[in-house]
Amino acid sequence: MRDNWGYVFAAYAVAAVVLAGYWRHLARRAKVLTGREGAR
Amino acid sequence: MAARALGWLAIVALVGGLGAALGYAPREAVQGNVQRIMYLHVPAVLTAYLAFGLVVVGSVGYLLTRRPGWDRMALAAAEPGVLFTGVTIVSGSIWGKPTWGTWWTWDARLTSTAVLFLVYVGYLLLRGMVEEPDRRARYAAVVGILGAANIPIVHFSVKWWRALHQPSSILGPEPSPVAAPIMVALLVNWVAFTLLFAYFFAKRIEIARLEEPHAG
Repeated sequence: MRDNWGYVFAAYAVAAVVLAGYWRHLARRAKVLTGREGAR
Repeated sequence: MAARALGWLAIVALVGGLGAALGYAPREAVQGNVQRIMYLHVPAVLTAYLAFGLVVVGSVGYLLTRRPGWDRMALAAAEPGVLFTGVTIVSGSIWGKPTWGTWWTWDARLTSTAVLFLVYVGYLLLRGMVEEPDRRARYAAVVGILGAANIPIVHFSVKWWRALHQPSSILGPEPSPVAAPIMVALLVNWVAFTLLFAYFFAKRIEIARLEEPHAG
């Protein structure tokens, strides 16, 4: 069977984008909410 | 602070996991290098099982005590659980194309996993639709518990029905036939994904607490 490295990299790249995106979303949301708490 | 440390630990483990998956683990004899997708696909689904297991714990806890902390726990596990299930489906689809010749087939394992994904997407949508906190938490708890009933179906589907998807090599009743270096790479990635989930879980609980109207 051919090695199909392209499929391997595609799978890891999609996972990295999704998980890093969620990480970033959480970090931003926490920052906004913490700022709001601080302003109270 | 603990979440931050978990985050760094997860990053280190993920880098190690990537090295193990793409470098340390040997080229699989039958499938070739494309089998390396397994080091992403299997830890992702095991992490999703863990996440939805915690949704059940949080949901049952809420229904028994009506304490919002249990509901926060269920929510904090459900969100990354959906994410890890999505990663499982997409990585499986990408793996399926070169090995099965198709991106998707209505095989029992694939279909039950898609149902699991959709049920918990529905769980999150439901949470967004109900404003009153206690009613939202109660409805969500029921869906969270019922949705997890699908997990044994997902896991045992390859045994119960004739499926294109291969049977479980790791969590099966027989001793694992997997070679040691493959098992090591898999375990490293499993730990890394679990740490990443733990970080997401801790961070999401912190956010849910801050989102509450009376927070602070």
